[in-house]
Amino acid sequence: MTASLIGFGAVLVLVLLRMPIAFAMGLVGLLGFMMETNWRAAISMAGRLVIDTAQDYGLSIVPLFILMGLFVNKGGISRELYQVSNAFLGHMKGGLAMATIVACGGFAAISGSSLATAATMSKVAMPEMRKYGYSDSLSTASIAAGGTLGILIPPSVILVIYGLLTETSIGQLFIAGIVPGALGILLYMVAVQLSIWRNPAAGPAGPRTDWPERIAALKGVWAVLLLFFLVIGGLYGVLDVWPIYLTFSPTEAAGMGAMGAFLIAVFRGRLSLKDIREVLTETTLTTASLFAVLIGAWIFSNFVNIAGLPEALRSLVADMGLSPWMVMAMILAIYILLGMVFESLSMLLLTVPIFFPLVTSLGFDPVWFGIVVVVVVEISLITPPVGLNVFILRGVVGDVSTGTIFRGVTPFWLMDIVRLAILLAAPGVVLFLPSMM
Amino acid sequence: MTAILQIFRQALWIPVALASVGLFALMVLTFADVVMRSAFNAPIEAATELIRIAMAIIVFSALPMLGWRDEHISVDLLDGVFQRLRLARIRDGVIQIVCGVILFFPADRIVDLAERARSFGDLTEYLAIPTFYVAWFIAIMTFAAAAVMVLRGLVTLFRPSLLSEFSNK
Amino acid sequence: QETLNISTWLPPNHPINVDMFGGLVEMMEEATDGAVTGELVMGLAPPPAQMDLIMDGAADLSIIFHGYQPGRFVGTKLIELPGYEGSAEAASVAYWRVFEEHLADLNEHRGVKVIALTTHGPAQVHSNQEVKTLDDLDGLKTRLPGGVATDVANELGMVGIQVPAPKVYETLDSGAADAVTMNMGERIGFKLNEVAKNVYEMPGGFYRGSFAVIMSQERFDSLPEDVQAALEENVFGEPASRMMGQAWDASDARATEATMAAEDNVIVTASEEDQARFAEIAEMVIGNVLAELEEAGVDAQAAHEMVQQEMDAAVTN
Ligand code: NA
Ligand code: NA
Repeated sequence: MTASLIGFGAVLVLVLLRMPIAFAMGLVGLLGFMMETNWRAAISMAGRLVIDTAQDYGLSIVPLFILMGLFVNKGGISRELYQVSNAFLGHMKGGLAMATIVACGGFAAISGSSLATAATMSKVAMPEMRKYGYSDSLSTASIAAGGTLGILIPPSVILVIYGLLTETSIGQLFIAGIVPGALGILLYMVAVQLSIWRNPAAGPAGPRTDWPERIAALKGVWAVLLLFFLVIGGLYGVLDVWPIYLTFSPTEAAGMGAMGAFLIAVFRGRLSLKDIREVLTETTLTTASLFAVLIGAWIFSNFVNIAGLPEALRSLVADMGLSPWMVMAMILAIYILLGMVFESLSMLLLTVPIFFPLVTSLGFDPVWFGIVVVVVVEISLITPPVGLNVFILRGVVGDVSTGTIFRGVTPFWLMDIVRLAILLAAPGVVLFLPSMM
Repeated sequence: MTAILQIFRQALWIPVALASVGLFALMVLTFADVVMRSAFNAPIEAATELIRIAMAIIVFSALPMLGWRDEHISVDLLDGVFQRLRLARIRDGVIQIVCGVILFFPADRIVDLAERARSFGDLTEYLAIPTFYVAWFIAIMTFAAAAVMVLRGLVTLFRPSLLSEFSNK
Repeated sequence: QETLNISTWLPPNHPINVDMFGGLVEMMEEATDGAVTGELVMGLAPPPAQMDLIMDGAADLSIIFHGYQPGRFVGTKLIELPGYEGSAEAASVAYWRVFEEHLADLNEHRGVKVIALTTHGPAQVHSNQEVKTLDDLDGLKTRLPGGVATDVANELGMVGIQVPAPKVYETLDSGAADAVTMNMGERIGFKLNEVAKNVYEMPGGFYRGSFAVIMSQERFDSLPEDVQAALEENVFGEPASRMMGQAWDASDARATEATMAAEDNVIVTASEEDQARFAEIAEMVIGNVLAELEEAGVDAQAAHEMVQQEMDAAVTN
């Protein structure tokens, strides 16, 4: 227990000194493992993990989903998504902000990353909201918050990594994310209304779009619908009917999605050779950085594992006579605190190896816990002082202060807490869809 | 010096290009496997092991470039403090060198593990490709990444002007 | 007291963890009056990495499945052949005896100490669609574990799909695979009663699966000599192998019972005719594997005959 805690502290210090997370976790894990065994054992363990992680078939899902998101983006789908939701919602008070939320949700259905969702939507939605006189605070906040949906609505790189770290079914995790994701969209729309109610000038109504135009706009998003249907439908056997009989595993769904996005972008004439090269390069670099972190996390997790931390935590909880829900409340409080300073992936990688064995031993469902973790991780993206989505917005928009965005985000943050409370009070919200599959 | 660095930087693109080809192949292979299985009930039996090899190529070819661009995932929470104290550059240089040095150890070990796999005659299941090739590739690219990071650290510490000339973008 | 770290890649409730490693720890404690015990460490590395972990001392004990490392193990295919009659207990005991006599000299486990050998019970075909005859196996997309299973499946026209064990459930569930081959006992851990409701059973099995429990030689040498002797005498080798075989048999029996109790599950036993046809196919596989063994330097025919003899002998003594 002591060794693990010192190790955890050492990782924190190194990470704050800006050592890459992969190296901080790998180094501390290596040294810790060495203390428990010897140098040859530790370095051999690390070497084997490098070899095996790099060649893990299941991990090929990571680059494929990243690739899909980037191809989709090159295909110009984000703009069309926004146009459609705007056609239906724009005429209401705060309508453009609500349209932003819905478009973020739609983009999340094909992108695995929250940062990508926020960055993409800010380029599309921000100019529109400015044009119609929306306050900077509300417009940036709705994009920053809406962007967090990227990792809950499938596909999701964070859920994939949680699934890989804990050997939880990625298919189940994906489907479990759908309802909480939809709930997130609804609650964020409530947050928009709250903002308008506090300051009616923040989000005036936009022009009304008539039905023929709405129908015309819908045609622009056939590609998104098709891709989502292909990926999710194939994954859950919806396409296993005459005459197609398509079914696939999550990894294959990622491959089909990437290929589909590629073909759609090519078909629309929006993909030059240079674009393809850029997308491939960006994907490989992102993949390599994620793998580095995964390997580091694995080495660290082997150290706390062999140092007996899971067992020690279990007996600590038993000795203190804590009920499972009290433990869960403490864990979530720790997440919210960590969420103030850490970004999503680092937080997940640092904590899951420590908390997961404890949580499952207390009888919590691994799929449910995965979704709850992702929701708290989402919250971290918009929690001050370090909220990555807020920073992304600040970077893309330029002339808005971080403080303004954080202020605008407050109602959205509160709605996130409401959603978390709902998921805790009614685990069925998460679990009923996967249990039907 | 500048010319050497220029060539060096261009050279880093070679493995990245290899990784890109590997990635495209991975996508096509996964797609083809599903189509062959669904339409013709004839999945590509060797697909899994080819995908595994492609993954190793993708991840480890990109590693040196990742180190050179200093794009490993990290937390920049205290950047402001370090900048105010004018320690940011020294910190970055030292951390890069330390990270590069750390990488040498597993790389060196992977060579041993590769040779061990060779001595045992380990093969892939369907295509009977000796597994030590992949392990050697991983080792070499890890060595390359280690060297690149140390170099980048030295440049950051002693010739920071060169870095701005070769900005990441 | 010495605690041996037992590295395991299997899910927590698997019979290998609960019954076999549990049983092994009990046997070691008893034989050494508590001087040696063991503790499980889960998920240190994937299955093919286990032998390296033990060689380099990252853990003290582990179990390997030989089929996961093609090219490295040839001799161990002997016990995986179809056609032997008898329980996993008999096969595991016979395996140890034949190993000592014929296979140990191949030195395929060089660098580690082999302390037990075992094979799971007869492997059957578990499918998410109806399989009633040998011909139904033709074209069946099947997850195979490697080793002799692949040789047999090729002869039967089954199409191999490589999937790591933790992904078996969702692969069958999604329909990406039609079937999986495993011993009956695995139906419980993999929840095959939900996703592979049909069992096509070949008496004696389509193949068996070869495992070895390995220990760090260095760690063993570090133990006091009397402890070493006690372990060698009362635990390692045949006693541990027998205990593991018994555990396989017990898990097969539990799973068979659960499968029969589940109303929507069916066990179809191969018809006499199909059994005879399979015996012919098995002869070809056996011939090929024995030739491989011969080439590796084993007196293959003698070793093959010894397996059945010792299996028959193992249950009586
Ligand atoms: Na998503
Ligand atoms: Na935060």
